[in-house]
Amino acid sequence: MRLMDWLDERLAIRQLIKVMLTEYYVPKNINFLWSFGVLVMLVFAILVVSGIFLLMYYKPDSHLAFDSVNKTIMMDVEYGWLFRHTHAVGASIMFLVLFIHMARGIYYGSFKPPREIVWITGYILFVLMSATAFTGYLLPWGQMSYWAAQTITTLFEKIPFIGPDLVVWIRGNYIVEDATLTRFFALHVVFLPLLLIVFTAIHLYAVRIPGSNNEDGIELTKEEKKHGKGVPFWPVFMAKEFFVMSVFLIFFFYLVFYQYKFAMDPINFTPADYLQTPTHIYPEWYFLAFYEVLRGFFFSQNLGLIAFVLSMFIAAFLPWLDTSPIKSAKHRPIYKILFWIFIADFVFLTILGKLPPTGLYAWLGFFGSLVFFAFFLTLPILSKIEKKKVAGGR
Amino acid sequence: MKELKILLILIVIVAIGYWGIEPYAHSVMHGEIKKPDYKYSDLQTTALTTGDPVKGKELFMANCASCHGLKNDGINPGMDKNAAIASFNVVPPDLSNIASIVDHKFLAAFIKNPQEATKNPKFAMPPMAQLSDEDVGHVIAYLSSVAKKDLTGKDITVEACGRCHSIKYQKIQAETPADNLKAYLGKVPPDLSVMGKAKELEYLETFINNPQNGLPGTSMPRLGLTQEATEKVVKYLDEIADPHREQRNKLGVWVLGYLVVMAGLTYAWKRKIWKNLH
Amino acid sequence: MADEKVSRRDFLLYAMGAWAAVGVGGVLYAMYKTWEPLPEVKAQATVSFDLSTVEPGQIKVVSWRGKPVFVLRRTPDMVQCPDRSVKGEYTVVLGICTHLGCIPNWEADKKIWHCPCHGGEYDACGKNIFGPPPRPLDVPPFKIEGTTIVLGEEGNEYKQMKEKGLTV
Repeated sequence: MRLMDWLDERLAIRQLIKVMLTEYYVPKNINFLWSFGVLVMLVFAILVVSGIFLLMYYKPDSHLAFDSVNKTIMMDVEYGWLFRHTHAVGASIMFLVLFIHMARGIYYGSFKPPREIVWITGYILFVLMSATAFTGYLLPWGQMSYWAAQTITTLFEKIPFIGPDLVVWIRGNYIVEDATLTRFFALHVVFLPLLLIVFTAIHLYAVRIPGSNNEDGIELTKEEKKHGKGVPFWPVFMAKEFFVMSVFLIFFFYLVFYQYKFAMDPINFTPADYLQTPTHIYPEWYFLAFYEVLRGFFFSQNLGLIAFVLSMFIAAFLPWLDTSPIKSAKHRPIYKILFWIFIADFVFLTILGKLPPTGLYAWLGFFGSLVFFAFFLTLPILSKIEKKKVAGGR
Repeated sequence: MKELKILLILIVIVAIGYWGIEPYAHSVMHGEIKKPDYKYSDLQTTALTTGDPVKGKELFMANCASCHGLKNDGINPGMDKNAAIASFNVVPPDLSNIASIVDHKFLAAFIKNPQEATKNPKFAMPPMAQLSDEDVGHVIAYLSSVAKKDLTGKDITVEACGRCHSIKYQKIQAETPADNLKAYLGKVPPDLSVMGKAKELEYLETFINNPQNGLPGTSMPRLGLTQEATEKVVKYLDEIADPHREQRNKLGVWVLGYLVVMAGLTYAWKRKIWKNLH
Repeated sequence: MADEKVSRRDFLLYAMGAWAAVGVGGVLYAMYKTWEPLPEVKAQATVSFDLSTVEPGQIKVVSWRGKPVFVLRRTPDMVQCPDRSVKGEYTVVLGICTHLGCIPNWEADKKIWHCPCHGGEYDACGKNIFGPPPRPLDVPPFKIEGTTIVLGEEGNEYKQMKEKGLTV
């Protein structure tokens, strides 16, 4: 305990422990969906560690990349395969836990005042994570890596006036080539992770101020939480968190060892060939829904592109689209229905995103896209109705 | 209870999504993989598949040895490798073990009409019209008498595929230089190092049996491998593409076991801590 | 009652911590293994070389584990040292000056190795005869198989040399 005293004099460590852990109270009426924030952190840590070990043998060069991944790392390095499987599955599962984390926020109204900063920083983190996934996907330099990068960078061509020049600038070449690989590499391993860490810090700080939301969406004061309506973060809340993490890790490592194909597409085991597009190309599953919105407006490419960008960013504006005073879907019957339609639509779009965009599928994609936007656009109307209700009820 | 209900909802949503993007999407994309046909029933030939090995050797020396060697019997090809590459853009194979690898009926039809048997109109070997049906039988009998019977998957892969395909990660280089292959086939055939991962094994089997089933219009010739040889090749490709499978499966059990114990411990601790809360 | 509760909680907490430490140990082990030399590097740990390809009076340099190994087939007019030779007539030494690790050059007219860094000299047996080197050139571990020498494995001849203290 002498050490504690010494540290306390210099760093006020006891105060810090109180503020951050033992006297930071979490509402009691929350379920395990609130653990997904911690799970995102856990997966991020796994990705960073496994990534560092991949980095020791990976060679960012269009002639060497494929072999450094598939021969050196996967076959020669002791346990190299383990780090690569972990990294690939981690990237995929990151988005699963992120989507659940975000959906929980949408369902219980965690984006509403006083938590807009939490929501915005969280959304920035989602966009950064998407960019990290996209740049990282090019690095193995397989067919899927290559053509995903080629097609997505081609999208920038559609920007008026500067489009064609911008694409060449992004690629550093007329096609995706060595220059593209090295810059994506730099973004993937240094720049984006750095930003992710910075915004994670802001995100966590921002949630410490108003505290966690809860199932009922009714704010609790610190006193209420201290006396019966809440539990201290450490050890009580973390006790549950550890259990959730263990169960999650069982699922995660089961995938790593026995079910990794969904995260490591067979097509990517063919080296990149810029003269031959594979028969089927599709983005990784976590981008499929947005990709389907892009394809959904099949009759107009420009409309599709606008819809695609909008679909990626519209959720960031939720705090201003949904201004209803009631937070949680638990007390908003209509909102609850809309929410589940939205979730069903998101899964539907994800599945459609991998199917050929022909005939019936094309029309289904179009309607799915409309439903996607309809959710966000009906919220202001619903807010008005609910505001009236609350005012009338008093 | 409430927690379990939420978990169940999550599992259902994830399961539907998974089913949609994996098994369902793949069935829509790839459709049915055609079954391999090891009888080569499309080939009609009157040529025989058995005869007298001694006569067969004479016929072989007169008709085949100008291009093909046969190391098992000490026969060197009439033209050297570089001359062959210059004139055909591909190295004619040594026929030592061909009878153990290729189906005999296919072989008979092939000698009579290589272009039809391989389904490759540009196939380099000319039809052996000068050989009668009986002659073909003698030659095949001779080839059978010298062929090794216990070839490993690696041997077969090198003999059947190694003239055009490299297997870089096993340090196996294609016998024919890449530029000549490009001239002969239109493109350089892919490296087979991780082919066992890039394609479904079922697909590989069908593809080797008849490339046109997998990639209509491909310039890869049909080679007429027997079922046993095909399966051995596929097994070999699978093994070299994923050399750590056994280690992975073993380690996975340990890691999951460790985590199950961890879950038990953390659950006990959680129960302990939460017992006093209401 | 209350004490018991605390101790029980502590026990579980310690058990959890200990079990987590086991897991961290496993992860660290996997990380430790990834830093081992790759198979292709380990394959270079032993190098085979056919001694009969060296003409009398000629020197061949063999690369073993990234270091030069001098193989000299001595002629009768050179210094002799049956104890420190392979097959009586070959000098097989690590071409690294025992002074500060430079690579000596063979001077054919004087039949000595001369180190360019600080002027150390070694005779045809690898013995230090002039300058700062503290000891003769080291003999690498070797094994004889017919006319082939395998560098990197300890054969009987090497072990005998080692016992006499002649290898270092």
